[in-house]
Amino acid sequence: MSVEISNEDKRATYVVLPAYNEATRIQPVIEEIAQKGYNMVIVNDGSSDNTLEVIMESKKKYPNNIHIFSLMINRGVGVATQTGFDAVFRFNPKYVVSMDSDGQHSADDLDNVIEPLVSGKAQAVIGVRPLKDMPFSRRFANSVMNILTRIFYRVDVSDSQTGFRAITVDALKKIEINARGYLISSEFIREVNDNNIPFAEVPIKTIYTPETQAKGTNVKEAIKILIQMIKHQF
Amino acid sequence: MLLYSILFPIFALLAILWFVYRYLKEKQSLGTVILWTVLWLFVILFSIFPKFSERFASLFGITRGLDFIIIVVFVVLFYIVFRLFNKIDILNEQINKIVKEVALNNEIALDDEEDE
Repeated sequence: MSVEISNEDKRATYVVLPAYNEATRIQPVIEEIAQKGYNMVIVNDGSSDNTLEVIMESKKKYPNNIHIFSLMINRGVGVATQTGFDAVFRFNPKYVVSMDSDGQHSADDLDNVIEPLVSGKAQAVIGVRPLKDMPFSRRFANSVMNILTRIFYRVDVSDSQTGFRAITVDALKKIEINARGYLISSEFIREVNDNNIPFAEVPIKTIYTPETQAKGTNVKEAIKILIQMIKHQF
Repeated sequence: MLLYSILFPIFALLAILWFVYRYLKEKQSLGTVILWTVLWLFVILFSIFPKFSERFASLFGITRGLDFIIIVVFVVLFYIVFRLFNKIDILNEQINKIVKEVALNNEIALDDEEDE
């Protein structure tokens, strides 16, 4: 079920898109978001392909909706998202969303994810991916990460590793993200919980292709996140 | 006299000279030079007088001198790895800060591409 978000609220929403080597996938994502009337802060994470040129092409089509920042070297999805979150404040948004730029998430879900913020039901939202759609290795890693997030961060969520999240700008000011890599997903949830920010879960669609499966939280990433979680305890 | 009791002290002396040289060139801190010099002096001592290692070993309740040396080497190596990990972590954090700062101060505009 899709909800209607006013144009005013859409204009007050900024979507942060961290992008690393997404030249072949990012353009439809950007343009779909722009067509829906949302603004974007795109952070090129030191891509070695022509991601930046592709983003510039889209900016020519939607110059007012797109703001581009570029990290000179690859620092990971966490740092790219942090950069986007820092940059977004200069545009005075009301709502901030971050989603993957590889086409894994659907721009059609933006309205649903924003809705609890607009209606005041929540100040932070995580988009929950259906477990049944996930490949086995991803589903296994995700289940383990959910348990670890519960143990180390004392938060019980259905999808701790989702990259689709939304937050009001006031709530964003309260949280502090330091994660460099994929730990950002769990850290976002921990910060929301620790700061008593009311949050909601919204089901989202996930589009898995061989390319999108190559990224994200697999077993190797899960081990790295576990090490960082243990480190964060000290 | 065994070969190692000649070679090891020569190597250790060269290492000490190398550290002193780097300190004089201001490429190494005094603390690091002292730490490494002490370690290399022990290498010289144990190479020329192997019996010394047994005395040290008995101080810690270890029977063989060689066991004592191996344990000390392990402890030192673990400490160095730990320090390196910490240093790399701090450096990573500093790099992230700089890279973020540069990106935030340079929003990319369409004119930038035309200028190139």
